[in-house]
Amino acid sequence: MNLPGALLTVALGLCLATALLALAVPARIRPALSGVGTAAAGAAGAAAGGAAMAGQTWSAWLPDLLPLAGVRLTLDPLGGLFIAVTGGVAVCAGVYGIGYARHGLSGRIVQATLPLFVASMLLVPAAAAVSTLLVAWELMAITSLLLVLAEHGRRPAVGGAGLWYAVMTHLGLIAILGGLAGFAAGAHGEAFEQLRSARLSPLARDAVFLATFAGFASKAGIVPLHAWLPRAHPEAPSHVSALMSAAMVNMGVYGIARVGLDLLPGSTGGASGGGTPAWWWLLVLAAGGASAMYGILQAAVSSDLKRLLGYSTTENMGLVLMGLGAAGFFATRGAPQLAALALVAALLHVVNHAAFKTLLFQAAGSVLHATGTRNLDVLGGLRARMPYTTALFAVGALAASALPPGNGFVSEWLLLQSLVHAIPASGVAGAVAMPLAVGVVAMSAGLAVATFVKAFGVGFLARPRGPEAERAVESPPSMLGGMGLAALCCAVLAVGPTVIVPGLARAVGTLLPGPAPVTGPAMRTVTLHLSGIAGTMSPLLIAVALAAAIALAAGAVRMFSARRRRAARLWDCGAGPMSPRMQYTATSFAEPLQRVFDDVLRPEMDIDVTPKKESAYLVERIRFHAMVPDRIERRLYGPLLAAAEALGRRARALANGSVHRYLAYGFWTLTGLLILLAVIP
Amino acid sequence: MSDSLYAQWLALACGAFLLAGVLVLWRRDLAAIVRLFALQGVALGAMVVVLGLRQGSVHLVAVAVGVGALRAGLLPYLMRRALDTPRPGGETAADEARETRPLVNVATSLLAAAVLALVAYAVSQPIVRLSPDPATRAVPVALTVLLVGFFVLVTRRRALSQVVGFLLIDNAITATAFLTTSGVPLVVELGVSLDVLLAVLVLQVLTTRMRAAFGGTDLDELRELHD
Repeated sequence: MNLPGALLTVALGLCLATALLALAVPARIRPALSGVGTAAAGAAGAAAGGAAMAGQTWSAWLPDLLPLAGVRLTLDPLGGLFIAVTGGVAVCAGVYGIGYARHGLSGRIVQATLPLFVASMLLVPAAAAVSTLLVAWELMAITSLLLVLAEHGRRPAVGGAGLWYAVMTHLGLIAILGGLAGFAAGAHGEAFEQLRSARLSPLARDAVFLATFAGFASKAGIVPLHAWLPRAHPEAPSHVSALMSAAMVNMGVYGIARVGLDLLPGSTGGASGGGTPAWWWLLVLAAGGASAMYGILQAAVSSDLKRLLGYSTTENMGLVLMGLGAAGFFATRGAPQLAALALVAALLHVVNHAAFKTLLFQAAGSVLHATGTRNLDVLGGLRARMPYTTALFAVGALAASALPPGNGFVSEWLLLQSLVHAIPASGVAGAVAMPLAVGVVAMSAGLAVATFVKAFGVGFLARPRGPEAERAVESPPSMLGGMGLAALCCAVLAVGPTVIVPGLARAVGTLLPGPAPVTGPAMRTVTLHLSGIAGTMSPLLIAVALAAAIALAAGAVRMFSARRRRAARLWDCGAGPMSPRMQYTATSFAEPLQRVFDDVLRPEMDIDVTPKKESAYLVERIRFHAMVPDRIERRLYGPLLAAAEALGRRARALANGSVHRYLAYGFWTLTGLLILLAVIP
Repeated sequence: MSDSLYAQWLALACGAFLLAGVLVLWRRDLAAIVRLFALQGVALGAMVVVLGLRQGSVHLVAVAVGVGALRAGLLPYLMRRALDTPRPGGETAADEARETRPLVNVATSLLAAAVLALVAYAVSQPIVRLSPDPATRAVPVALTVLLVGFFVLVTRRRALSQVVGFLLIDNAITATAFLTTSGVPLVVELGVSLDVLLAVLVLQVLTTRMRAAFGGTDLDELRELHD
């Protein structure tokens, strides 16, 4: 066993030991034990993934661990990348969870499930056979479901969210199971090597791709299969939200990349994706574009902080999928360098998103911990009360809004570069799709800025809008530590993406053999050079220049503005003193956007005027209620759910309580089947 | 034992086995039904004894004696006890001891049994073709009894008839096992028998309780427990 294998084994062992110990120790030290164990396992996992990205591969076959099939594990650079990301998120979430669990989450089940959840997410990218992958996948679904339901006794919404999540994740599992089982049947074997050398008919390949794409996309929260995400992520405990939103959704991306770019192209005999149909990748691109737009629009008008972050996850996964789709498309069009560049952009965005989404969810959890509410409309004024959380959220918001010097900017810049340079190489379909994709990326970046300005400005600055925000106090040091680690990752990724780009290039190399897309002196200096197209960027220099410019501007203002600030009363139209409720709220900040996208969002408003008894002209009370429902959910899932319910109600007539009737069902089925068997020659 | 003698004895045992099963549909008196079930247990035991003698296996004969003792002795005894438990209402006693209103009447039930026998013969042809010897040719008989037992479960109202239907199915499964294999391992047979015994004990308790609670054992009265 070499280094990555040993590290992965250590990580999994630590997870298991922590889970068992968490069941045994008293509640007082349970959160600390679980948090430290999870963080240590995450560190080992991150190291294993890093070693795999550095080029050391490892594989193992444990025939006795699962009946019939055994467990096959392989660490390659692609899987290593996702393991490293999961490990990194687990370190932050583990440290953060120590303090967060004082919030009444020190129960045995929750604390023992957390390390198991991390273990399952470390196993999924390491699986090298269909059965191993599915078992790890199901373990991930079940453990995350248990964690989502952790606070079900406190809020009734948790139960509903858990139900949505349970149903959708298992429908996704069925799709993946169906697709991969069909693939394995066609390949006469279930190990990934056998799948790579399988020969499938084009129709079978399309079916496998579509089924697995649907399953993996639902895990990644891609529109229109995202309905569970903005429900489950807000209702889970915040460190679990961070794990789900920053690590678990990535598994969907991993699955699509593994099946679409690694396993299926091999089954055609063509090299490096050349054998896959272009429409697959246009479909991926379209799904990604729709998710990016729809996700960020919903995030922009949401006034629930964690729901906003959940929709932002949909947006970012959409961007990643756009990169993935573009990569696959370029590969089919014989432009391997562009394909590799798009894939690097997608994978880098996975890493960046994991870093800033961990930070943001943890900061949101810190706010929730301190104020007991997620509603941005009653927050505000946290800057003075929670200075560290505010600063850390600001770092995350900067990263998420894809502006320099945030880390989100780097990957979106790379993605844009690959899309912009596509036009000559990609034929008619590309000439139509790629400019549209560029527009979608640019627009989602713009809306992301508005969204996070809203989240930060309304949530943390100005004066408190409600009593909850006024009473807020800073979170304990372990929570700040978890957030600080994530912020550190964001900062490192923002100024030095060149640190991880070689590893990413190796991960890309496992899927698309060819020259490294981001090359040259990149590894030694701070500048990213793109090979094949003219493009260089130095995030560090941009950051330094920005910092210098800001310092210069601030200095100049201070130097030249001699007048001192003078406090004066604000003019209030003579209507009495202004209250903090008159500040901009999240809803009012988003109102112009909501107006612009009225046709897409279809907001619902409800005005309820109650007149006085004596006269209809004297108003006693006006109730105004506005909400922006998830339109896709309402139009697509609403009728489906109604139909299922009607069917279920009608099916009730089948079961009238008579034992004889139930027995008769069995009897008729049995005899009918026997007669059928006798009739069929 | 010569070939023809073996075939004849086996046919006799199987015939008795089938007849007892079909006659359960004919009789309405619960005591008579229990007697028929005991007769079927004897036939089953005889069948296994014949098979054991044919194979010269003392072990199989011992199993046969055990099977016979359970199905012709212990289980009918338990059912008789359930039947003879004193009832609270004296008036319905005569009614309670009879299957007065089966969901499908007796004549139709017998016709249905004939159809089920046809289905069983048609379905088991592939099994018979695998190795055509007297034992395998008797498999349709066992299958018929299985379907008849199921039919009893579906159409008879009294709890005790239900128990008999269930036990007919189990007899049929045991018979199939002995006819198609050269003897079931003792451990398996012991396990199955113990299961059956337990099921009958539970059903006996259930019957007594039902009678205490509702004054009758008509299962169709139990309709409250549904969605």
